Amino acid sequence: MKLEAWFGTLDLDEDGEVLESDLFSINVRELALRSLSLRDAGKGFPPAGFDLRSAALACGFVESDKEYASLLHEVTLEAAKLQVSGALTPDQRIILAVEALDDINETVNVLSERLSEWYGGYFPESGLSGEDLGRFIAKYGSRRNVDPENPLYAKAVDSMGAELEAPDEALIKGFAGSVCSLYDRRKQIEGYIESSMENIAPNLSLLAGPMLGARLISIAGSLEKLAAFPSSTIQVIGANKALFKHLRSRAPSPKHGIIFSHPLINTAPWWQRGKIARALAAKLAMAARMDLYSGEKVPSLEEKLDAKVQQIRLSNPEPPRKKQESGAKPKGKKKRRQ
Amino acid sequence: MPELRTLSEGIFEIIKGKKYLATENLDPGKAVYGEKLLSVEGSEYRTWDPRRSKLGAMVLKKFRIPLAQDSKVLYLGAASGTTVSHVSDIVSDGAVYAVEFSPRSMRDLIGLAARRSNLHPILADAGKPDIYAHLVEPVDVVFQDVAQPNQAEIAARNAARYLKSDGYLLLAIKSRSIDTTANPKQVFRDEVKKLEQAFDAKFEILNARDLKPYHEDHLGVLAKLKKSD
Repeated sequence: MKLEAWFGTLDLDEDGEVLESDLFSINVRELALRSLSLRDAGKGFPPAGFDLRSAALACGFVESDKEYASLLHEVTLEAAKLQVSGALTPDQRIILAVEALDDINETVNVLSERLSEWYGGYFPESGLSGEDLGRFIAKYGSRRNVDPENPLYAKAVDSMGAELEAPDEALIKGFAGSVCSLYDRRKQIEGYIESSMENIAPNLSLLAGPMLGARLISIAGSLEKLAAFPSSTIQVIGANKALFKHLRSRAPSPKHGIIFSHPLINTAPWWQRGKIARALAAKLAMAARMDLYSGEKVPSLEEKLDAKVQQIRLSNPEPPRKKQESGAKPKGKKKRRQ
Repeated sequence: MPELRTLSEGIFEIIKGKKYLATENLDPGKAVYGEKLLSVEGSEYRTWDPRRSKLGAMVLKKFRIPLAQDSKVLYLGAASGTTVSHVSDIVSDGAVYAVEFSPRSMRDLIGLAARRSNLHPILADAGKPDIYAHLVEPVDVVFQDVAQPNQAEIAARNAARYLKSDGYLLLAIKSRSIDTTANPKQVFRDEVKKLEQAFDAKFEILNARDLKPYHEDHLGVLAKLKKSD
């Protein structure tokens, strides 16, 4: 019987004694590469309970226990390093970008709120917030510097805000500059995600939009995992809390998870949302599979989705009547109260 | 003066102000995950937090830990190597085959393995034991902490392939990853029954105990292969 070990190919007799051995040369990198290809080959496995270490000693690959251990250590380490360096696939890069984007969003909100609080003492009438406020402060600093062309000029002149002294102005202006650069970074990351999604998941980007598509991949863990999900899972990705509450108790099932941010769903009237979410999730599941296995853009997918959504709208034009009156339960409650 | 007591081979209790679980550091001067280093009688020990390690919790729950200085261990679900580092301390002249499926965790594990010559990292799915058959020799102990719905099956298949006939299986069963909604006690009963009967490799359960208060909804199990005759 022939079998493959990390140190060579062995031929065994019926008692498990080594008849013949074809040993590899002792080169850590080559042994590691061989080990990885054996892993993928899917055949020639040693039988259960086969003692690799004794076999390696018996056929003279190594001279001692110690040598076996240290060589195996180096080979497994090298193989693991090779695998890890190959693990950063394009979809993993997108996931890292999505996570960075979430961190930036959180940070930029906190910081711009701080900026608004801070600058409010000097120019409370500005009415600006978020990115606009950051850009305004980074440009002008004190409201005294606002040029007459600016629509806020009149307000700036009559403001009840305190005088912004030079040292404070330098501080706030610098802070605003940092906030603005975070906004710039956010745009850059969004641009990166959009273009990468177009490359690795064209169908998913087409149906879901690049950001929602990227988020779906991020939560699933990889495009491969997303493609393996049933559409019912895709429908409720991101609604974990509601889903488990539903499974544990008698709470209603969630209709949508993060796909709620899709305009088809969040602009629909409430009684159509669950149905549209189901249709959208079904098509997203197909899109993810097409992206993983063929990579070609299939425009008919979007047309089919539109047709399905149109059909849902036509067949459910009116909100359903609430069911509460018809059940036996509310009546029982009434009786108890009397 | 700190006091040193042996709880099991290679596993110590150090009393210095309070009680610490500890193993002798195989890589002196270096802490792996921010644990305390204590020196007693010229040797350095790493403290072991039972709340961060199911094996550590099993020690304190009075499980017999079948690890010796020259044991060979197949460790499934090595993660970033918190517990693996202590196993590597204990079996200083043996070998630890550390299987982990996540490349992210493997990055940390590689850093650990590079400094510990008895640690052999394997990036693979523990649910497919064949794919590392060309690397792993028969072992004395299979330790498993993978938090998968079919973890009993994974343990049984690995034990059938790699565990010596007089070897032991140690595992931590996480009820929440088997069924989030079911009662943990029921899940534990079912899983133990599966280990006893369901697979090609059948086990005799030597000890099964809840890991409270160190881990919620976890069951520690010590088992050995049932003689097939």
